[in-house]
Amino acid sequence: MSRLALALPLALVLPFAATAGTLKLYTSQPNADAQKTVDAFQAANPDVTVDWVRDGTTQLMARLAAEMEAGAPAPDVLLIADTVTLEGLAQEGKLAAYSSPEAQAYDPALYSKDGHYYSTKLITTGIVYNTAADDIPTSWADLAKPEYKGLVAMPSPLYSGAALIHLAALTDDAELGWAYYEGLAANEARADGGNGGVFNAVAAGEKPYGVLVDYMALRAKAEGSPVDFVFPEEGVTWVTEPVAIMKDAANPADAQKFVDFVLSEDGQNLVSEMGYIPARTGVASPEGFPARDELKLIRFDAAKALADTDANKSKFAEVFGVK
Amino acid sequence: MIVSGDRNPISRSSDRLIPLLLVPVALISLGPILRLLAEGFGLGDGATLAHATEVLGRESTRIALWHSLVTAGAGTLISILIGSAFAFVVALTDIRAKSALVFCLMIPMMIPPQITALAWMQVTGPSSVLLRTLGLAPPLGSPQPLHSAGGIALLLGIQHASIIFLTLRAGLRMIPADLVEAARISAARGWRVWAQIVLPLSLPSLAAGAAMTFVTALGNFGIPAMLGIPARYSTLPTLIYQRLAAMGPSVLSEVAILALVIGSVAILGVLAARLMLRRRAFGLVGLSGQPLSLSLGASRPFVETLLWGFIALILVLPLMALVATSLIPAYGVPLSFDTLTVKAWHEVLFRQPVTRRAYLNSLFLATSAALILMVVALPLAWLISRRPNWATRAVDTLVDLPYALPGVVLAIACILSFMRIPFTQITLYGTLAIILLAYLSRFLVVMLRPVQASVSQLDPAMEEAAASAGARIGRRLHTIVLPLAAPAAAAGAILVFLTAVNELTVSALLWAAGTETLGVVIFNLEDSGETVMASALAGSIVALVILLMGVVQFASSRLPKGTVPWQG
Repeated sequence: MSRLALALPLALVLPFAATAGTLKLYTSQPNADAQKTVDAFQAANPDVTVDWVRDGTTQLMARLAAEMEAGAPAPDVLLIADTVTLEGLAQEGKLAAYSSPEAQAYDPALYSKDGHYYSTKLITTGIVYNTAADDIPTSWADLAKPEYKGLVAMPSPLYSGAALIHLAALTDDAELGWAYYEGLAANEARADGGNGGVFNAVAAGEKPYGVLVDYMALRAKAEGSPVDFVFPEEGVTWVTEPVAIMKDAANPADAQKFVDFVLSEDGQNLVSEMGYIPARTGVASPEGFPARDELKLIRFDAAKALADTDANKSKFAEVFGVK
Repeated sequence: MIVSGDRNPISRSSDRLIPLLLVPVALISLGPILRLLAEGFGLGDGATLAHATEVLGRESTRIALWHSLVTAGAGTLISILIGSAFAFVVALTDIRAKSALVFCLMIPMMIPPQITALAWMQVTGPSSVLLRTLGLAPPLGSPQPLHSAGGIALLLGIQHASIIFLTLRAGLRMIPADLVEAARISAARGWRVWAQIVLPLSLPSLAAGAAMTFVTALGNFGIPAMLGIPARYSTLPTLIYQRLAAMGPSVLSEVAILALVIGSVAILGVLAARLMLRRRAFGLVGLSGQPLSLSLGASRPFVETLLWGFIALILVLPLMALVATSLIPAYGVPLSFDTLTVKAWHEVLFRQPVTRRAYLNSLFLATSAALILMVVALPLAWLISRRPNWATRAVDTLVDLPYALPGVVLAIACILSFMRIPFTQITLYGTLAIILLAYLSRFLVVMLRPVQASVSQLDPAMEEAAASAGARIGRRLHTIVLPLAAPAAAAGAILVFLTAVNELTVSALLWAAGTETLGVVIFNLEDSGETVMASALAGSIVALVILLMGVVQFASSRLPKGTVPWQG
């Protein structure tokens, strides 16, 4: 009995301690995509098992901080929304430098010089609308017009990494700036959860228009959801879902295999098949998406965005009356 | 040299059992809560009210507290309307198929609240697959009416109506028919009997039930999280969750204060409920006789139709909406024979490791909690019944605390206590163990009460006979108490299991990579826009819950009275 009592807590803790051959991945991809990525990686590396966890980027970062503070086992690999978050981790010395042999097929702007992180795809943020809606907006500025009052949903930068970058890029834009966000707030745009909530609201028709990442809208459209997507005139903002290895990874060897796989031609074809614009040069965009070089990207400065993160969040909270 | 002074074998061997059992139980019931108090007021490193003043002074705290009180209060009123209507009719009249009706009324309470919220969101608003399929959906841009204080209160009211029902019915059953007979002999009729005899006598039960409902509604996380967060309408539990999810453990001392605020309100409610139940006991103890049974006469079919119609409205309709949503290919597509697909069910049940893991975790946690608590509850119930002293009485009261307090409070308390176990380098944060410990603490009382009911009915003479024949305590517990209390323990175990499988409030704050529970996964799926998959997973859990409830119902004829909560 006493031996059993001793063994019980061990049995509870052990399955989650890192073991060789098991790779622990934190990702902000949707569940089904994360599963496809992992399945393909495991098919190419049958000796590795991947345990993955999905949550919003902000939540994952909070969880990571908690786990590091508690000394609980942390992940080996991150595959999350934006370079700004990863740049922050790299500056704190939390990421391993790894120079992947696949990097040569990538635009140097898409990975960190020291190999701390590599972009895996281009996820643009544009405008989604319900196909039953009367007007079809063509620009960001449209959303602040009186016709759209109370009809727009957008992800909150306090919650979503992509939305925070969207905010950093648009408020830095000479034409739009903070005045645009003030206009959206005055227009009663709803900004509460992440992209998931925006998609639900638009697909349901609760809000006919939304600010959303491209793949959620275009993929649902392909499956029959009554939504369509606009790449606004001013250009789109973008995140690149970078992949990175944790410095204290329990399983760095398999983590490197994972990074190489995601960046490889096969990995990038999978990205395209799943309905994202691939980051690797020479891999075609999925059907229904513009080619990578046809996109008009709004310029944004990752270092500045990182430095402004707290200021941007609190200014947003103030403008949108979030307490 | 000590010569044994007490030669009575019963008391001597049970004295050894007392510290062995009572100390761990007290520790796990009270320890985390004390740790929470210490954190809130900075005990250990200089007591301070600075935290408390700062957090309490914030507008967000006051708003969330007010929202909590409003939604829990309005929800309680709705529960009173539903629960008392059912209780009066079921306990006092001759309607048919009572047990089927009661079983159906209990289901909403056994279904996880976030599933209730998910299901209802599919009934109303422009998003309703049901309404779209029928062509009745409200126009584009209409708000989801449930994303509001009213929506939260309505669902809290439906979710907890059975608490009112159960306490009130128990009270009504204690009203002796003699009183009504006496009134009738004095020529009182119909409404007069009801208003002057039944209603006044049932008020203490109703008030006690209302206080308990209020406390439960106050601690509910699933409903305000699913309905309130999208509308930026925060209650204290969702405020705590959002602060902790976004900021991590750096805000622990701040959320500890918030947890203490909600805990204090909850304790006031619990005390009120106790007071009322005591009044009821004093008023009616000693009276005996047949319970009331009023004949409805010709209006019986009408009343029955009304009640069953209501069940269809609050149970069948939302579940149908949930299933409808789980069968469409993508959100926003109307359901028809052409669009119908089980893709989401397949993805959730067979493809996603996270849902498989959540099923395994939830089933493992629920089974372990049920088994461990069964092993603890038997000797504990025996000890409380046979050795009434200050220590056992204290434990008897203490075990209520973690269940009565909102789950958020217990979760924060557990994070603080087990993030670093005192005097060691061990952390339980991020393991299943921390969730299991929280469950043990929270659900002990669910297990203990039915076992207590059963043990208190045992005749001590049997044990005394065994003791005088030389049987030691372990043997007496094993051969006499265990077999007689086993049915109650089994029913208690199933109740613990059902409650733990449905759990979200505690695990929402305690889960980590690999230790997701079912409640957490549904919440996260909906949150990431995967409503169709969330609906499919929710549908599978509802099926499991109803199946398990059915098992208890089916076995209830073999159980002692009072062990299955929905059968008085």
